[in-house]
Amino acid sequence: MHEYSLVQAMFEQIDRVARTHGAQAVRRIRVRIGEYAGVDPTLFQSAYEVYRIGTPCADAALQIERVPAAEDLMLDQIELEVP
Amino acid sequence: MCGECGCGDDKIVPVDVHERLLAGNDRVAQHNREHFREHGIVSINLMGSPGAGKTLVLEATARALGRDAKLGVLAGDLATDHDAARIRAAGIVAESITTGTACHLDADMVHHGLHHLPWQTLDYLFIENVGNLVCPAIYDLGQDANVVALSVTEGEDKPLKYPTMFRKADLVLVTKVDLLPALDVDVPAIEANLKQVMLAPAMLMISAKTGKGIDRWIQWLRGVGRPRSAACATGMGLDA
Repeated sequence: MHEYSLVQAMFEQIDRVARTHGAQAVRRIRVRIGEYAGVDPTLFQSAYEVYRIGTPCADAALQIERVPAAEDLMLDQIELEVP
Repeated sequence: MCGECGCGDDKIVPVDVHERLLAGNDRVAQHNREHFREHGIVSINLMGSPGAGKTLVLEATARALGRDAKLGVLAGDLATDHDAARIRAAGIVAESITTGTACHLDADMVHHGLHHLPWQTLDYLFIENVGNLVCPAIYDLGQDANVVALSVTEGEDKPLKYPTMFRKADLVLVTKVDLLPALDVDVPAIEANLKQVMLAPAMLMISAKTGKGIDRWIQWLRGVGRPRSAACATGMGLDA
């Protein structure tokens, strides 16, 4: 169940980016998961639902793009709410 | 501000990140790799199911190579020091990385584990990963090579069921071949399944118990980090 570790790593990445932009909250997260990435998108989504509570991502929509025959495991884009 | 989606909300800023989700682990893995290169250490990430025979392979490796080269082991387990203790009894330095509930090792755990070994003096560092055919596959630890132990008692179809693990293996050790006479396992099917999923198929049939094939495993280890001959790189050692 490394999907839980991955979601926590993603939150650390997002926190860093959000801080540099002085963001108040995250509205949307776009990730890309390849077929050979070794990550189950459904489990990743479930882990996200559990861990986002109480974080700046609490109200952010997670969009997962599944890529066939690829090893991609990328945080592509986030949408930040700024003052 | 938000000129992309047309929502008209000027408080929404899209930021392109384009970073691997494992970027933090990758950075530490690269740091480990630089340490290993600097000290001329060959590092092997040994993975496989619980009970595939990873520890027994390392005990046999200690006996076969321990006089010629300095070997060390970091053994990952959820609990207990059993594996590291067995390996130390075989005469080489070994430390446990106790992961608690974590199902895999990451680069940071390996980095911390190194502090408990005289790692700078080693010729070979074996990282015995947590027994698991899923999670360990995606974490770079800084290793030179991925080796997967697959015991004949696990049947023919594990490579197809766990393709991510076998896909990027540099070598699969088919272990416990001394048990083949007692089993109805189709060895050519194991080979065919590995060829289907591995990017660069290579396997060796071994028995750490009887010593069969250990010489070829040691020969393979001596070649890690050096250019391989074409025969060695594609050799599926089906000489059971």
